[in-house]
Amino acid sequence: MKRGLKHDFSLIAIMLIPIGVGLNVVIAQLVQILRLPIWLDAIGTIVAGMIAGPWVGLVTGGATNLVKSIFTPTELPFAISSMAIGFTVGMLSKKGMFSNFGKTIGAGLIVTVIAVIISTPIIVWVYGGISGSSASAMTAVLLASGHRLVQAVITSMGLLELIDKTSSVIIAYLIVNKMSDRYLSKHNYAQSFIKSNKKSKAA
Amino acid sequence: MSYIEMKGISYKYPVGDGKVLKDVNLSLEKGKVYALIGANGSGKTTICNLIRGFIPHFFKGDLDGEMLIEGKDIREWEMGDLAQKMGYIFQNPFTQISGTKDTVFEEIAFGLENLRVEVPVIKERVTEIIKLFGLEPLQNKDPQQLSGGQRQRVSLASVMVMDPEILIIDEPTSQLDPQATEEVFKIINIMKQKGKTIILVEHKIELIAEYADWVILVEDGKVVMEGKTKDILSDIKTVNHGVMLPQYALLGYEMRKTGRLNEIPITESEAITVFNNWIVGKEE
Amino acid sequence: MEKKNAVLSLYPTTKLLMILLFAISVFIIPNYLFGYAIFFVCLLIAAIGSVTKEFANLTIKGLFSLSVLIFVLQSFFYPGTHVLWEWSFLAITQEGVDFALGLTSKIIAVGSSLILFFRITPVKDFVYSLEVLGLSPKATYVVLSTLTIIPEMKKSSQIIMDAQKTRGVETEGSLMVRLKALLPMITPLVLSSVASTEERAMALEARGFTVNKRKTSIYSIEKTGRDSFIRVMLLVILILLIVWRVAL
Repeated sequence: MKRGLKHDFSLIAIMLIPIGVGLNVVIAQLVQILRLPIWLDAIGTIVAGMIAGPWVGLVTGGATNLVKSIFTPTELPFAISSMAIGFTVGMLSKKGMFSNFGKTIGAGLIVTVIAVIISTPIIVWVYGGISGSSASAMTAVLLASGHRLVQAVITSMGLLELIDKTSSVIIAYLIVNKMSDRYLSKHNYAQSFIKSNKKSKAA
Repeated sequence: MSYIEMKGISYKYPVGDGKVLKDVNLSLEKGKVYALIGANGSGKTTICNLIRGFIPHFFKGDLDGEMLIEGKDIREWEMGDLAQKMGYIFQNPFTQISGTKDTVFEEIAFGLENLRVEVPVIKERVTEIIKLFGLEPLQNKDPQQLSGGQRQRVSLASVMVMDPEILIIDEPTSQLDPQATEEVFKIINIMKQKGKTIILVEHKIELIAEYADWVILVEDGKVVMEGKTKDILSDIKTVNHGVMLPQYALLGYEMRKTGRLNEIPITESEAITVFNNWIVGKEE
Repeated sequence: MEKKNAVLSLYPTTKLLMILLFAISVFIIPNYLFGYAIFFVCLLIAAIGSVTKEFANLTIKGLFSLSVLIFVLQSFFYPGTHVLWEWSFLAITQEGVDFALGLTSKIIAVGSSLILFFRITPVKDFVYSLEVLGLSPKATYVVLSTLTIIPEMKKSSQIIMDAQKTRGVETEGSLMVRLKALLPMITPLVLSSVASTEERAMALEARGFTVNKRKTSIYSIEKTGRDSFIRVMLLVILILLIVWRVAL
């Protein structure tokens, strides 16, 4: 599978980038309409990473924040964390971390850790700890009760991210498993989702 | 040498069960309209993809046999040359608009831009095709705001502007209403008049009776019947392969039960003549 | 489209250099008044470009509310010893206010520059200018098609939502009920849109998208003498700012 970036960015993989960005935006909106207490604004990135690999995942994540920042510039710094999520999911997919449900939950935890590690410095350096997300209020409370800034940001974000990213990864996993073998076979990183492969492995 | 030739073609997608094409042999001539008919999943689209070179350039899998365009094997054709030689219209009106252009005019120009045609030439050719297809009222509209039928006409123009010799049209009207279908077929007829070689997949058998020169009936990855449109669509054996005959032909067979009928009509105009003669004959 | 407007008619990269200068300048001159002043400069340019309303809307919605939140919370919670005001366990410190002023002025300056840029520069023009500079047409495709795909996907998500509602999926009620609605809404959306990528790719291929690395373009925008003038002015301002900083 070491055939470089050009191999990763096949035409069908490139087509996945706008679709992934669109899914991120539209699903996040849907979640708001349903008044759910999570964001789920990276499912498109995760799907792209799962089936088209780390680099396509990375670009999908970055493009999402670029597009969002046309209207909400404060989203721009978080492009880095979106890129990291897409890249991580792609690497995990390459390593076969989505071959069954149990591993997928583990993958969700890894994605959470990466998201928190990358987002925390952005929130601390760019926004002084308060980025306006739903974690900000908790950050403030923790600060008021004497916690250190970085610790407060990580604690408040960690829990939300854990729920959000693990459920995003699980949802993406469930949906990718519903895709047809014929379609998946056209993507370079979707081997572990192809049903006939799974069967032959089981046999 | 045939224009387009398949010799003993078998094909299997990288995953999934079994061969989708089994020993297909076809020989197509320049300037004719060919209709591919058959039930869903019989292999019509796969044949189209093969002629266009999407198999094996885009779809991997196991391809056996020879697929020749002008005597040259498809594997040896450059994708760029194929893009110029053959136009392809897909089923879904919503996936064919590039999504990067603000106006229908620019959308139609997209293919020529990709082929690095000079700007003044592009403008001239786009203007020409817009006139030919009667798309003037749409030319400054946002392609994203068009209806399915309008999009399909713009897609046809976008492909025709590249002046391909061969046109592959895969179920262009399956998602359109009758009026939009008629508009699309008007355009297909214009292209037929211009002497293009057309390979058409279409379920509306009446339209095939009207426009096709030659019918190829595909079943389960094999060509089971082929011949002149009139011969195939008036042959009752056709219905054994998952395809309906035109209403006029079915009516013809019904009438034959009650008396002599020289000819089984397949189009409206044929039906009028044949049935008129029949009535006259009865009165005699 | 006729573009006579003094701001709108500038070449995209000229506008980009301008807002980059704005964004960088707040780091050269750390004074918070300077940062807030940048907002008014942006407002002025927006007014000349007759996009005041959109600019104001987005800055108020996207920037001011966040800045106020940051300002209040930082004033209270930023660690400091010079207490300005106190009530029960809450205290506003001088250090907190200083930090909040510095931070929010930068966020507002950089944020409003970005908002301004996209109000006065159509994305199409922007990517055109980048393609001239050597950006791959594939990247251009991704950016432009993303912007057209999003509204189309919103439409299809609406259709899916209505269809699922008629099939009995509840979207109102307790958290559990709404959570259960999630998968039936998302799954068809993801599957249908992802499946469409295959035909999209072939349709582009059919129109010669991958034939050449470079393409011709019937759409074009030109640099003018005014662009060069503005660029020189921007450079002069940058030098002056640096001199100011060093002299301070």
